[in-house]
Amino acid sequence: MKENVLLQSVAKLDPRYLAKNNLVMLMVEIGFAIVLTTALFPLIPAEFIRRGSSFYLQLAIILIATVWFATFSEAVAEYQAKARVDFLRTLEREVLARKMVDGKEVIVKSSMLKPGDEVTVYSGEIIPVDGLVSKGVAFVDQSMITGESNPVVKEKNGHVMGGTRVATDKLVIEITAEAGKSFLDQMVGLIESATRPKTKNEIALMTLLSGLSVIFITVVGSLLFFAHFLGYDVDIAMLIALLVALLPTTIGGLLPAIGVAGITRLGKDNIIAKSGKGIEAAGDCDVLVLDKTGTITEGCRGAIQFIPMQNYTEGDVGQAAYAGSIHDNTHEGKSIIALAEEKGFIPPLVEKMLVAKQIEFSAETRFSGIEFVARKRARVEKSVPTVAETGASKVAKMLLDLDKADKEIRILKGSIDAMLKMVKDVNEAELRFKAQEISLNQGTPLIIAINKEVIGLVFLKDSLKKNIREKINEIKATGITTVMITGDNSVTAQVIAKEANIDQSIAEAVPADKLKKVEEEQSKGHVVGMVGDGTNDAPALAKADIGLAMNSGTAAAKEAANMIDLDSDPSKILHVVKLGKQKLMTRGAITTFSITNDIAKYFTILPAIFVNDSPIFAALNVMQLSTETAVLSTLIFNAIVIPLLIPLALKGIKFASESPQRTFIKNMLIYGIGGTILPFIAIKGIDVLLSALV
Amino acid sequence: MLIIVLLASTLSVSAILGLYIARMISYELQPLEKRLAKLERKLNKTLGLGAGHEMTWKEYFIALVLTNFIAAAFVFILLVLQGIMPFGKEGFSIDLAFSTAASLITNTDIQHYAGEQLSPFSQMLAITYVMFVAPASGICAAFAFIRAFIRKNFGLGNFYMDFARVILTLLLPIALISSVLFMALGVPQTLDASVTAKTLEGNEQIIATGPVASLESIKHLGSNGGGFFEANSAHPFENPNGLTNLYSMVLMLVIPLAFPIAYGRLLGRGRGVSILITLLLGFGALLVLALSAESGPSGLETRFGNFGSIIFNVVSISTNTGTVNAPLSAMSPNAISSLLLAMFIQAVPGADGTGIMYIVIYIILTLFIVGLMVGKTPEFMSMKISPRDIKLAVLIFIIHPILILVPSVIAFTTGNAQALIGNKITPLSFTKVFYEYTSAAANNGSDYFGVLANTPFWNNSTALVMLLGRYVPIALMLAIAGSFTVKERKEIVEPIKTQGAIFIITILVVTFLLTVLTFFPFLAIGPWSL
Repeated sequence: MKENVLLQSVAKLDPRYLAKNNLVMLMVEIGFAIVLTTALFPLIPAEFIRRGSSFYLQLAIILIATVWFATFSEAVAEYQAKARVDFLRTLEREVLARKMVDGKEVIVKSSMLKPGDEVTVYSGEIIPVDGLVSKGVAFVDQSMITGESNPVVKEKNGHVMGGTRVATDKLVIEITAEAGKSFLDQMVGLIESATRPKTKNEIALMTLLSGLSVIFITVVGSLLFFAHFLGYDVDIAMLIALLVALLPTTIGGLLPAIGVAGITRLGKDNIIAKSGKGIEAAGDCDVLVLDKTGTITEGCRGAIQFIPMQNYTEGDVGQAAYAGSIHDNTHEGKSIIALAEEKGFIPPLVEKMLVAKQIEFSAETRFSGIEFVARKRARVEKSVPTVAETGASKVAKMLLDLDKADKEIRILKGSIDAMLKMVKDVNEAELRFKAQEISLNQGTPLIIAINKEVIGLVFLKDSLKKNIREKINEIKATGITTVMITGDNSVTAQVIAKEANIDQSIAEAVPADKLKKVEEEQSKGHVVGMVGDGTNDAPALAKADIGLAMNSGTAAAKEAANMIDLDSDPSKILHVVKLGKQKLMTRGAITTFSITNDIAKYFTILPAIFVNDSPIFAALNVMQLSTETAVLSTLIFNAIVIPLLIPLALKGIKFASESPQRTFIKNMLIYGIGGTILPFIAIKGIDVLLSALV
Repeated sequence: MLIIVLLASTLSVSAILGLYIARMISYELQPLEKRLAKLERKLNKTLGLGAGHEMTWKEYFIALVLTNFIAAAFVFILLVLQGIMPFGKEGFSIDLAFSTAASLITNTDIQHYAGEQLSPFSQMLAITYVMFVAPASGICAAFAFIRAFIRKNFGLGNFYMDFARVILTLLLPIALISSVLFMALGVPQTLDASVTAKTLEGNEQIIATGPVASLESIKHLGSNGGGFFEANSAHPFENPNGLTNLYSMVLMLVIPLAFPIAYGRLLGRGRGVSILITLLLGFGALLVLALSAESGPSGLETRFGNFGSIIFNVVSISTNTGTVNAPLSAMSPNAISSLLLAMFIQAVPGADGTGIMYIVIYIILTLFIVGLMVGKTPEFMSMKISPRDIKLAVLIFIIHPILILVPSVIAFTTGNAQALIGNKITPLSFTKVFYEYTSAAANNGSDYFGVLANTPFWNNSTALVMLLGRYVPIALMLAIAGSFTVKERKEIVEPIKTQGAIFIITILVVTFLLTVLTFFPFLAIGPWSL
């Protein structure tokens, strides 16, 4: 692979490639061609040549080395990116799949699979292409992609990735992605395409660099004429050396590498970038819309307490909650069942409930529960427990009475606002007071009701993610406003927001609110980042400038987003923002460095060219360089600074969480003042070495 | 002492004027102005003009060029036909008339003629009138430019309305008062072309004179610089004493320094003050450089001396007025370097109107270069700087060295330079040629050659450079304004503040750095080798 880098870097010396991708380096290469020609075939009139051909050869070598260092840096960056992608790609390699055709398994190649096909994957086999589980429950080992060592459970409608391995049991999977068109391929395309789509900042920077180049060409070109008319020593090669030294070669050489490196570094974080634009927009992000659940909090709220309304007991609430959660497979639902079992609050009629109609949670209604009418009295009569058996709780009695009367039973749980619409004759003040108590303790109240009668509340508690407060603080220090969106009531939202140090919170939000918030912030000119995983997040993800979808999310969400996190960790958006900023900072810093470098070069090359012509040039030679070696020393510095900065270009400059104004001052001092002083010292050093050698 | 008096008097007038200009830009009317506006509407109605509609940047620019073209054509014809006009003097050659017309309309006023060659009729009608049109155009362009930043879709305004208002309510009143002041201070104002005096020996001497005072006021106020006499402000009729000298400087500085105040009034006081300080510091740096070596004494006017001459010349050239009270040949190499730097930068403080535009462009470019370092797409006052803005801004900075260097090279290679300065080319003669085109490209007007350069090559080449150096940057700047006026503005704190000490230092350093990097070799082979 190392040879590949060398080969690539040499191939990139092709002037046609440079003409398309790197104008600054093209100019250096043209300079190289002229100097080399002068060295080998002295075609240029003698009055423009003052030195021996060995000098021109040395000059030519340094010039082509400058170009090669630049193409080398690009090749290294591409190599790194490809290595990462090649690795990700091995996970997508061709495998044999068992396609279901008319209920039978047919062995086909994974590349033949189309969306809509169903395949069966047994324990130990590789999932051929991205898809949704349509049958079965199994553990899937995703460590090769996500690095997460614990296998994860995949159930119906769970999303599975191509390249991951089924660890236990078997799954029937409906293919959702066409082979070769997965998001990984989009990322490969992004790195491999010879002419990467340039981002706006890149284009603007290129324009600036080209402008500077034009100015310096005009300057050196006219200097040639003026010096000639003034009767000064004019040497074409020396003027080319001056031009190359002045051209912004450092940033010009490293610009492509910086661009590619950004993508690689995202890849290392297990984030698939679908475009370079998204990464850069991340740097501009100044409003982050964050989902509370999963991003700020662990996302698995658990029941910790049952709080009864007046006239009811804790046991009543526990039994009702148990009943209402019996079909609820979410973490919340399971935790309610667990708490109720732990406390011994099992309601009567469990068998009937198990076959009862499920009222599924929907984002619009925001409640769930069960609904049943006990019609088949005869069959279940035997098992009906008596009031005495269940501890004579009010709820048990109520349920049994209703059952006897053959009346419909609806047990619902949901948020306070959703439930208030559903119930009658409730002491709203009491309910609100109790709900608020829960909210104030960072909990989420869940209201339990049986047939329009509120029984009590479940205290659901969601804990903040580890270190989330620190992460948020870091992000906020760079001037980003954080907005939390949650379906919780405003008290809970505010408590959590305060706990995590979030700027704004939008409580009791429905999914459409996310899109509304994104659009609202954008209309104020902000660059908005957001994370999402559900289909109803898709419009907002598409609208947001940086849309990070969770790999565990739905296909629609992933399609809409411009980045996908394979680890499905929403708080990674903070990572992406940092990375985007770093990429821009690196460009700015090296540009500043490149321009300030030029000051020293006037003091090294100009005196060497015109030393015999005017006393002023001896005075300009402030560093007392030897006129023999000054030009070579300068160009060596000019060339060598490129490979020396490759690590910086690839890794990006250090990012600290501080106000932009501070970052600005700090970087100005390092790269501005540093860029002014460093070449003076370095060129002097190289010159001392060279003079010793000569 | 002179500096303190100069700054104090200029800044106090600039402050008042700046607030007035801010109101002109934002169309805010005071009671008296309301009456004037009513009058304006009535006048417009009777002339059938209607109220001026909002112009796009292209319309604004075309209106500006059209107005300028008509005015320049008028001057051109008048000069060529001077011989058959009243108070007749010999008519100008076609190329000299072209050069003169271009020179006047571009606010340059390089004079390849001696002021004495003009009849009082041409002087008053052609010269003085165009000396209002040229700066008014620059000021209007700056109005449109600043409006782009006030708020989204504020509009750039209407050129004709701005133009009329600038001449009638800004330049004319000040010029009138100033003319009276100049007359009181001893500058002549007469329609006679000359007076005859008896010398001490009893001979008769004919001394050229004319409506000098009226020209002097607008010459300085409008960054023009074209002298009534060949000696320009060194001539005792144009600039008889210390007071006229001081007042001339005040007039040159007052509008360029009023603009940052207007800018501050409209876009944030801190920002305006910061720009003002930037301009003053930049100007101070130029002055220190110019004073760092003794100029003269030969060639200096004894009534002004070294200090008085240098400060006048630095004021004049840094405001792109271009009038001098001491010939360039008497200036030290350092002083010449300082004057050249002033013309390379064109923004500390620069000419009426264009000066503020140049500094804002410098700010945008600086913010782009260093702004990336904070990890965001660079912004100017919370507006994103797009690739197109950078392209336009970079073009503004490419065009300037090209307009200076390419014609200089051509002048040498075609032998036209040698025809003027002799075949032995020295650093001094190089400096003269280089200075000529620098002055033309910067629309400055000062030069070494004067009437010597009255040859077809020099007339035509400088005229072209002046026209390109004036209208191309204005077009590009208005295009930038057109782009910014429709931009979204954010309501948050700017990542890099566009005010305060750090900002001022950064702008100054980057401005001087970019300029010096571009022109360093030419300063070295030119003035530094003298």
